[in-house]
Amino acid sequence: MKITAATLIALRIPFVEAFTHSIRARRYSDSIVVRIEAEDGTVGYGEAVARPYVTGETVASCLAFMANTLWPAVQQQDYSLPPLSDTNDADESMSMNWVQEIAATLPTQSSSIQNEHDCPDADETASPTVVAWNAARAGWELALIDCLLKASEQSLSSILPPRRSPITYSGVITASGIEQAVKVAKRFKQFGIPHLKVKVTGTDDRPLIAAIREAVGPDPSLRIDGNGAYTVESAIATCEKLAEFNIDSAEQLIPRGAPADLAVVQAASPIPQMVDESLITLEDADALIEARACQWFNLRISKCGGLAQTLAIAQRAEQAGLQLQVGCQVGETAILSAAGRHLAAWLPAVEFVEGSYGKLLLAQDVSRSPIHFGHHGHAPLLTQPGLGVSVNDDILNTYAHQVISLSN
Amino acid sequence: MTIRTLVETYYNTQVRAFAQSSHFQRLVSGQLSTRDIDQFIFNLCQAHLKSPQILAFLYSVAPPSAAATLQHNMLEELGLDDEGICHPDLLRQLAIATGFDAQRQQALENAAQEQLRTLCTDPLMFLTIKELGLSVLLEVTCFEWMLSQLSSHIGQALNTHRQLSPESLEWFTHHSEVDIRHAEEGVVAVMDYVTYYEIEADELETILDITFRENIFIKRYFGSLANVKGGRIGLAQEAHILESAR
Repeated sequence: MKITAATLIALRIPFVEAFTHSIRARRYSDSIVVRIEAEDGTVGYGEAVARPYVTGETVASCLAFMANTLWPAVQQQDYSLPPLSDTNDADESMSMNWVQEIAATLPTQSSSIQNEHDCPDADETASPTVVAWNAARAGWELALIDCLLKASEQSLSSILPPRRSPITYSGVITASGIEQAVKVAKRFKQFGIPHLKVKVTGTDDRPLIAAIREAVGPDPSLRIDGNGAYTVESAIATCEKLAEFNIDSAEQLIPRGAPADLAVVQAASPIPQMVDESLITLEDADALIEARACQWFNLRISKCGGLAQTLAIAQRAEQAGLQLQVGCQVGETAILSAAGRHLAAWLPAVEFVEGSYGKLLLAQDVSRSPIHFGHHGHAPLLTQPGLGVSVNDDILNTYAHQVISLSN
Repeated sequence: MTIRTLVETYYNTQVRAFAQSSHFQRLVSGQLSTRDIDQFIFNLCQAHLKSPQILAFLYSVAPPSAAATLQHNMLEELGLDDEGICHPDLLRQLAIATGFDAQRQQALENAAQEQLRTLCTDPLMFLTIKELGLSVLLEVTCFEWMLSQLSSHIGQALNTHRQLSPESLEWFTHHSEVDIRHAEEGVVAVMDYVTYYEIEADELETILDITFRENIFIKRYFGSLANVKGGRIGLAQEAHILESAR
């Protein structure tokens, strides 16, 4: 199956409320939607969320890489449709191979092809060091998977057969002061959300967590996320101070760097450490496991470079006996949320799942049917063809900040 | 703080933020284009066209002490009271006067119905109907609170800047009158509801916080109007201002 046309749509969908962590505050979604069309007319959608402080990609540089490197590569391919679904192991292996084959068609480095599509400010806004073009590749990979599955009228759940239902999502409390954090915690309690993650900054961490624990009571599980705001010493000290509040994991307290530093925190801290920004590539996963740097991996499809690479990292984690969280990108739309839900349903063991906030965070989501979870954080499996969401092009047009059309 | 004071504080914050918003100010000062005014009218009609059904839901969950009031409001909306003015028909009259052709009128009916459908199909965040009913009651009575204060201003703006006749703007005239009574009755209904269903003060405050975490008037009246290049960003900013004001 040849891909004949594509549109890159950089969105700006306002948030209902600002989302703040130790690095920055966000007021709108800046996702990039990849819309592709196959030769038989089937349309597929993928989504990328570029984060300069994670992979080094910006929206502008991501668009440029997508248009100038990934699109020429995709144009040259004749993609095979997914194997017909069955439940035996041999077929699961074939399905995995099919996903890996799609990912393998997407270059990891810039091509020498002359830039046809100038993306304003790409050079000015690009991070000096792109760790990996993971968001860009994830956006295209998901679009291809969605399109090819739809063309064969199969759901992604036929490729990744679900092991659990419903999926239980966590709530995330942003760094916005103790009073506001307690308000949000009470909302989640009202909604029956059983797992909560709190963004911490190094300021007033103890009174913040104490107030939240008091507001929600002893039952909900609590996790903290520092987004790299701590030093090795302050990370250990913070974990010692917060351990009494029964914290399940401490995510990325120190910045991405040498796994040995994380290993020091992991060894000395009473709270198990989770890696996020430190886990971008397969090489990262291997190095973290080798260094015994953590007990948890946070898997995010856009950050990790797509479904194929995320599955490969998950496999490494499973072999090393690490625990898994399926994370999300702040401001992601129903497209990435749907992919995350399939992943969370399929993984042999997953403790926490984030995402599927949909209209709980976005003024409007791109899907015709709501993706967001309901009471208790529960959301059903998605069984429709492709990723399982029907995207509303009118909403994409309404919130399009920049559009790049690509065709043969 | 009493229940009444708490509820009125939230209502007043919502109304003040709306009245001070760039969206509202542009409307009443005549800075909106004709196209944008027409979209505002579409959104307003969409928001209120199914009010009788929403009131029917509230009537069905109302405590005995508030049931008669909500029943009367529902019959009033339907034009089945002594006055005999069907409010959805006033909105349809407004849509026709604005120049909506048959296709756009049908789109309006479909959009209003879709809102009811969404109410039924969106995953429920609350555990029981008790909490959902309170949240809906708070939103409906907050609209009455706002309309009792701003309805005539909006009607005047549409008359001045869109040249709509007073007859076509009867919905606004009517609401500026009846909603003064409705606003007071609404707060009493909320207090009755909270007492009847034994809702704790802390829980009430959380449901108020959830219901009004964004400005419901900007969302309903201007939500689809402004695009991301201009007013939509303003919406998020206003949500932030609202949070700061609390």
